[in-house]
Amino acid sequence: MIQQLSIGLADARIAVAAALNGARANETPLAVAVVDGHGQMVYLVRRDGAAAIDVRAAERKAYTAAYIGRDTSMWRLQITHDGRTVADWANPNLTTIHGGWTLRRAGQVIGGIGVSGSGNEDRDEQLALKGAEAAAQLAVDAWRQTRDPRRIRDRSEVRA
Amino acid sequence: MFQQISLGLAEAERARDAILAALTAADSPIALAIADEHGVPILLMRQDGAPARMLSRARSKAYTAANLGLDTVVFRDQHVKAKQRTLDDWGDPMLTTLQGGLAIKTNARVVGGIALSGNSTIRDEALAKVGLEAMGLAE
Repeated sequence: MIQQLSIGLADARIAVAAALNGARANETPLAVAVVDGHGQMVYLVRRDGAAAIDVRAAERKAYTAAYIGRDTSMWRLQITHDGRTVADWANPNLTTIHGGWTLRRAGQVIGGIGVSGSGNEDRDEQLALKGAEAAAQLAVDAWRQTRDPRRIRDRSEVRA
Repeated sequence: MFQQISLGLAEAERARDAILAALTAADSPIALAIADEHGVPILLMRQDGAPARMLSRARSKAYTAANLGLDTVVFRDQHVKAKQRTLDDWGDPMLTTLQGGLAIKTNARVVGGIALSGNSTIRDEALAKVGLEAMGLAE
């Protein structure tokens, strides 16, 4: 038997909110998706005015980041370097459009986040990163809670 | 030119919160889909432990309700079963006759669809109704 970690709804909602709140008020509305480690949707929000294609693109970016285990921009660099195309994976849900980040915890892929709608794939990527960072911060917070603060303060653990 | 009315994220989030508040310990984890009048998702949500297929079903139900302007159970009973048709007659692979999708209407216009999956289809529809009412749209 194996135990697999997966992002839950509570963390997914925090990540989506962080990506949405990262955008300035004068930017175009976004769609943001968070999927689990298998690439299956956990939470998606489309802001008023974001287009249908943004829902599709956000979902595909998040799916790719989780399924491949690479951020979509990094994956494009890698397959371009290797002389391959997305079609080599024979999976129509994959994309190399920037804006998908892999979410990890304890060395495992626990999900992916995808953003679309800013009108620029690199801006989408920046905004998705804000969501990914919020998810990573949750991991740090959870880890801190498992530690006894006194032991960390006197560093007895480190010396031992 | 004409102006189209569409459901907004604010209504979708009100529905989400009302549905989450209405869940009991007897309910299985749910998947929720809320779509605009074209059936395009505004909000998708899958609770921890709900299988992925629950959200694909909820999406199809919300799409069907929004696209046809019919609750999925009405579509099933009056448009498919009563006329001895099958879903193939519509030629749209996203359509479903599963109960639990409700058309969202205001001022006699279809503005979206809301659907749940995860429990019995009757309970799915009851929870979708909770969300629909929380949107507070005019008849």
